[in-house]
Amino acid sequence: MIRELSALTKRELLRTARNPQAIITSLLLPILYLILFGQAFNLNSIGNGQVQIPAIVFLKLYRGAPSYFSYFGAGMTGFVAVTATLFIGANVIFDRLFGVLKRTAASPATAASIFGARLLAGSIQPIGLAFLVLGLAILLGHLGLSGLEVTASLGVVGVAEIVAAIVILSMMFASLFIAIGFSLEQPQTYFAAVNAINLPVLLTSAALYPWGTMPAWLQNVASYNPITLAVNVLRENLFAGASAYYPYDPAVYLLGLFGWAVAMFVIATLLARRALAPRR
Amino acid sequence: MAEAIHAEGLSKTFNGSVRAVDNVSFSVDAGEAFGFLGPNGAGKTTTVSMLTAGLAPTGGHAVVDGVDVFRHPNEIKRRIGLVFQESTADADLTGRENLELAAALFAVPRREVKQRVDSLLERMQIGDAADRLARTYSGGMRRRLELAVGIIHSPRVLFLDEPTLGLDPQGRAGFWKYVQELRKDHGMTVFLTTHYLDEADGICERLAIIDRGHIVATGTPSELKDRLGGDVITIRPIRPDPSLEASLRAVPGVTSVTAQDGTYRLKAQKGEELVPTLVQACAQSGAGLASVSVKRPSLDEVFLEFTGREYREEEGMTATDRAVRVGQFQQAIGRARR
Repeated sequence: MIRELSALTKRELLRTARNPQAIITSLLLPILYLILFGQAFNLNSIGNGQVQIPAIVFLKLYRGAPSYFSYFGAGMTGFVAVTATLFIGANVIFDRLFGVLKRTAASPATAASIFGARLLAGSIQPIGLAFLVLGLAILLGHLGLSGLEVTASLGVVGVAEIVAAIVILSMMFASLFIAIGFSLEQPQTYFAAVNAINLPVLLTSAALYPWGTMPAWLQNVASYNPITLAVNVLRENLFAGASAYYPYDPAVYLLGLFGWAVAMFVIATLLARRALAPRR
Repeated sequence: MAEAIHAEGLSKTFNGSVRAVDNVSFSVDAGEAFGFLGPNGAGKTTTVSMLTAGLAPTGGHAVVDGVDVFRHPNEIKRRIGLVFQESTADADLTGRENLELAAALFAVPRREVKQRVDSLLERMQIGDAADRLARTYSGGMRRRLELAVGIIHSPRVLFLDEPTLGLDPQGRAGFWKYVQELRKDHGMTVFLTTHYLDEADGICERLAIIDRGHIVATGTPSELKDRLGGDVITIRPIRPDPSLEASLRAVPGVTSVTAQDGTYRLKAQKGEELVPTLVQACAQSGAGLASVSVKRPSLDEVFLEFTGREYREEEGMTATDRAVRVGQFQQAIGRARR
């Protein structure tokens, strides 16, 4: 079991490494958001300096983040987990179309390994990309543009919580996309389904909007959104004093995120088992 | 001799109405090369899918290498090798990586992996391309890689589902050469499906002809040909002689004589042995002999005899395709009714 799991995971990672266009596409959307959307939405410039808005107002709006871009940059770092795992599900469809899934299913490898390897690869891959986006968001601030300011002193626990949030969020979305991949047969249908999920999930999360401008009902919806749970962990760790604006510790959000991941894992496992069982 | 494959009353119905395989029974001895011959849509791939635990049957049972296929599908997968008609190697991995992955999935002992992979790469003549991505391989190389992947774990029974489909004659000949070598070296049982009659004739010790889900004939290629009434002897006399037909018919061993345009077509068992007697009969009748030829019946004629249809590469759908189409049609009807 361990041997087949590691062999299949290695195959998934090799495959991604040999298809850099998938990595570039994963990064494209978050980077465009950072460079275009994030720069244009410099909410701190409201009033053009003629109206003095107390800093506390912005702190409340951005839940302790020093600027909108800092708040938003953390959101985009979490969003990478969604764009990077999208290809893990697409690979299921392509593997089916090109016979690779048929070959694997004809081997004694268990459905758990076949699914688990994809999940493992899907959970590992986004970590590097997320830190790349975070690094870019910080770098922009040093290039004379709006940039992400890390105002907290990050310790080992903080970094571990950030990594855990990205890994668990990636695991959740990898499960979801793998489940969709096992359920659909055509790439067109897959990408249509994924697009129908991505945007609503992003728009009902706290990744984009300042928390303070969201209507109460959207705050309620966003509170349970897995992207919100992950970016809450990031923001609490990246911005000094941010914890005062969050009702829970990062550990609680990680727990909630873990619940999402388990639910998606169960659904995806059932669908993968069904897809890999002898046809009826 | 021990049986490597035993199928009893194997049936598969798709969508409740399309009987792709209907009550098929046969057995294959250990070490034997057994061919399943039939056109597209005959039920060949459906049968292989059931025997390799990839498809649940509607009825019947099957035992492969002493293991019940439907009760112990994972054990079956461990014991058999399977080469599909389409390419299933991972195009994003090298030939070597494809083999190493297969070795891990089939639990080949770690200490043997390198030696087995190297040996198979050399044997299949893809050693020089071992570290190239499989997507750069030619059709023939890909087929050989498929075969190598299928036998990395030294299976006792190898299933080949139309493995040479789409290959040129040279590629096909090369592929079968490797299969024959493997059989010789490892005593592997080979179950193959094909619609190339010449392949079945050259490789298989026994054949089953399957048509529309039914086995219509089973036997060695020679037995099947013999059931047609033996060899076809064609005699062209120098001059017409009304008494020649009766003389030829009287020769012991000749089972039928038909005359057409001054040429006589005779059927006889072991035709070559009758040639001297037939030459003598022509001389004695005064007709003389311009030419004589003896032809063993081909499997094309066997197929025609048992199915009543010419054997050809039908452009039709496979049984599974037909089932899918029927299902889609039924769904469309259902939607239209609603």
